[in-house]
Amino acid sequence: MKNTASTIAVLIAALAVTTVAYAATVVEEIEIEGMVSPASPKALSAALEEQLAVKVLGYNFYGTANGWPTVKVEYDSGAVSKDQIENVIDSTEDPTGRPYKVHKDGKQIHLALLEEETKADSIFAADTPDIPKVSNPIPASAESNTRGEKLYVTYCSKCHGMTGNGAGPSAHGFSTNPRQLWAWHNADKSSDPYLFWFITNGRTDMPPWGVILSENERWDLVNYVKTIAPPK
Amino acid sequence: MAEKIKAPRMRIKRRIKKDEIFKVKVRFDHPSFTGLGMVDEDEVLFNRAVPSTFIRNMLVYYDDELVSRFRTSSAIADNPLFTFKLKAMKEAPVKVVFVNDQGERWETSKDIKFST
Repeated sequence: MKNTASTIAVLIAALAVTTVAYAATVVEEIEIEGMVSPASPKALSAALEEQLAVKVLGYNFYGTANGWPTVKVEYDSGAVSKDQIENVIDSTEDPTGRPYKVHKDGKQIHLALLEEETKADSIFAADTPDIPKVSNPIPASAESNTRGEKLYVTYCSKCHGMTGNGAGPSAHGFSTNPRQLWAWHNADKSSDPYLFWFITNGRTDMPPWGVILSENERWDLVNYVKTIAPPK
Repeated sequence: MAEKIKAPRMRIKRRIKKDEIFKVKVRFDHPSFTGLGMVDEDEVLFNRAVPSTFIRNMLVYYDDELVSRFRTSSAIADNPLFTFKLKAMKEAPVKVVFVNDQGERWETSKDIKFST
């Protein structure tokens, strides 16, 4: 009898230890579709925190790996599962009436061209540009980089991304991938005419910014692009 | 996607003479949406909100020869109407192919026959 009681006590203790071992605080980032208005993040946070024991740590709208916004949540894995969180997201509506959705990459960002589109490209695409050898009149100073960064955020980040990763929100569905701009990180002066030509004239889905930006602004952009560092 | 996609339709005039320049009108009921939202009013930056939907290419064939290509973007209107001109060089079909950003393809064609 004494042995049975002690065995039960040991089993209960082991179970308690196991429960403690499995219940842990988890921080997870989940990709979200349906963030359409300024009221969207607040409404989703409220739904998650009211329905589940989940703490919303924040949102990332502009710097994610594939361009989709993410919500960062912290929860106790013993009390809440990831499936439960995803179910709450999928069953919640934005204040504008659109449903939120966990993004599962049902549609890719850049889909391959059809064979006949590729053929059309080969027939109608422009020849390799003859890039004039011009020199950058604006020194790569901190002031120029600040001006360039401001222009970059306004005009370029929508496609090239805030971090220069080529996955900006507007690039979704383009037939050509926007360049990952960190390829020119710390490039020497020989890259300046090439960058300036592309910013000025554009190509494929990139518009010719020479129509909108002044020459000095484009050189500031060249200086700033060369400061964009690759991810660590 | 709330809007329905209908097969494209082409209109050309009935009487066409050889070497005449004639108009081709193509209507395609296809939604166009950038997929962008703006959650941050202060920064005025757009974020990706929902999957985009738009026509990305329109290819024009005359007698199975590619004669023109229209590259379009998410800036195109819903249900666009395209009008362009062709020279009636020969009696042959005119075919217009649409491809959207998901790689889905539609086509419409009409035969060109010269009136006497």
